[in-house]
Amino acid sequence: MADVEETLKRIQSQKGVQGVIIVNSEGIPIKTTLDNTSTVQYAGLIQQLVLMARSTVRELDPQNDLTFLRVRSKKNEIMIYLT
Amino acid sequence: MFPDSHSSLCLFSFLLQLSNIPYVTHRLPVLSVCSHPLFFLFSLTLHWDPDPSTLQLHSDSELMGRGAVRLGMSKLTQVDFLPKEMVSYSKETQTPTDALSQSDQKAGRQALFLSFFLLNSGLFTAVYTPKELTEEEKLQVLHSEEFLTFFERGSRIVERVLAEQVDVCFDYSGRDLEDKEGDLQAGAKLVLNRRFEDERWTKNRVVTCLDWSPQYPELLVASYNNNEDAPHEPDGVALVWNLKYKKPTPEYIFHCQSEVMSAGFAKFHPNLVVGGTYSGQIVLWDNRSNKRTPVQRTPLSAAAHTHPVYCVNVVGSQNAHNLISISTDGKMCSWSLDMLSQPQDSLELVFKQSKAVAVTSMAFPLGDVNNFVVGSEDGSVYTACRHGSKAGITEVFEGHHGPVTGLSCHSAVGPVDFSHLFISSSFDWTVKLWSTRSTRPLYSFEDSCDYVYDAMWSPTHPALFACVDLSGRLDVWNLNNDTEVPTASVGVDGGAALNRVRWSHTGREIAIGDSEGHVHIYDVGEVR
Repeated sequence: MADVEETLKRIQSQKGVQGVIIVNSEGIPIKTTLDNTSTVQYAGLIQQLVLMARSTVRELDPQNDLTFLRVRSKKNEIMIYLT
Repeated sequence: MFPDSHSSLCLFSFLLQLSNIPYVTHRLPVLSVCSHPLFFLFSLTLHWDPDPSTLQLHSDSELMGRGAVRLGMSKLTQVDFLPKEMVSYSKETQTPTDALSQSDQKAGRQALFLSFFLLNSGLFTAVYTPKELTEEEKLQVLHSEEFLTFFERGSRIVERVLAEQVDVCFDYSGRDLEDKEGDLQAGAKLVLNRRFEDERWTKNRVVTCLDWSPQYPELLVASYNNNEDAPHEPDGVALVWNLKYKKPTPEYIFHCQSEVMSAGFAKFHPNLVVGGTYSGQIVLWDNRSNKRTPVQRTPLSAAAHTHPVYCVNVVGSQNAHNLISISTDGKMCSWSLDMLSQPQDSLELVFKQSKAVAVTSMAFPLGDVNNFVVGSEDGSVYTACRHGSKAGITEVFEGHHGPVTGLSCHSAVGPVDFSHLFISSSFDWTVKLWSTRSTRPLYSFEDSCDYVYDAMWSPTHPALFACVDLSGRLDVWNLNNDTEVPTASVGVDGGAALNRVRWSHTGREIAIGDSEGHVHIYDVGEVR
């Protein structure tokens, strides 16, 4: 548990990182370093995006599955790691 | 067989996918992830039994008593759903890991607020109200094995991705930059890398000089004057800082009895640090010895200097080099580094046979060991030469209205020779660009609103130079871009007056010394 905290702190303190959110498979945030409103907003929006992306990957190849999703915009980048 | 009719929905599970196995049995609804997650399911259980006997119709069954019926169901399974029950939709994939599906099902049993409306057109809308987990539930998840495995892998991969700094979207045509803010477009970015200070040795002292080591690009020597609050500490301190490691303390600590006004690494002797002091002594420290005090000192006599020495420099080549020092009474001495007990040569810098030049700064053009330029307190810049019949001051360049604080000769090597150019900074708020061929300034940079304390050309880029002023501002000018305003400008934290500026030999870092004993290192970004 302490390792988790330490790793989170290390990632959060890296240059350019705005926040880290950990979400369970239903999209409920478990741990977050952002404020509540942003977390809920991000969790909801990302959940939908992940569903779409995942279904795309699986439709193209049913044996395949989505593992990592990077959304790059003009101003910043969202990285989503999935199991 | 039918139960009493009640208002429950009879949901019959319907097999959506025909499988190859001969027995098709009733299964729980398998929701595959596709765009219509919920159907209104009609299910029919078909139990195929190869035994022909069971294909007979059960006319005497309890079914309906309708008599001979052509087709009959041999087995009917009924799944009831209460009308108002919330449908729990588990959004897992078809092949979840065992562990995950377990926890999901557990969580799924909690009433999720997902309601679907099936419209005629076949579309659906999902109303998603976020649900919170209690603290214990969150902790439970955080301690679970699956979470730890997931987190360990995930954090490792995310850290790798974060460490990659590659910008794949960079557009070399420059069209991208038009949208960005002004300072990015200007090209040179100044980012604070580090700050060096030491509680015992630099507090309450002013940084008087900076020099980068020619051998090791990460070493920097900074000299300091006295600390008025600590009369028992040595008056003059020179510290060697290391940029490569994160250690916040200096590599070497040297001190001496008088304030060090100028310092530098001896060019062809990697172990020696030269310092010019307020008393007129030149001191030499050696990092091979274990002493923090100088290993060699010049005498305090009329043959050497008796006034503060503001400029020390080692010029020449590997086999024939000298230490040149000039004090504020205009005396220039040249020394051999092996023997500091008496100067090899000395020269009085006087202008027009009477006026001694109070030298505050000195610079040698690239590759020249004989001719040099000096700046003085009366606001004029003089060229002089060391040897020859006309040894001494040659010409005067007038233009500044205040004492000249810094001088720098153009040093970037390139196809065009700019070695005749030099810049001077002064108390009159300007930095002036001169050529040795003309006594009038070529240009005057008048952007600053305060005393400009130092200026230096970039050793690698022929159009860049940096200057620092009293208000705590570092300006980097790019003469290819703009001559009216600096290309990049940054205010140093703390607002202390900046005393010295030095580009590193790679041209990628700038070291600044301020009046509070701090040495700031700035990284210079890409200059386009």
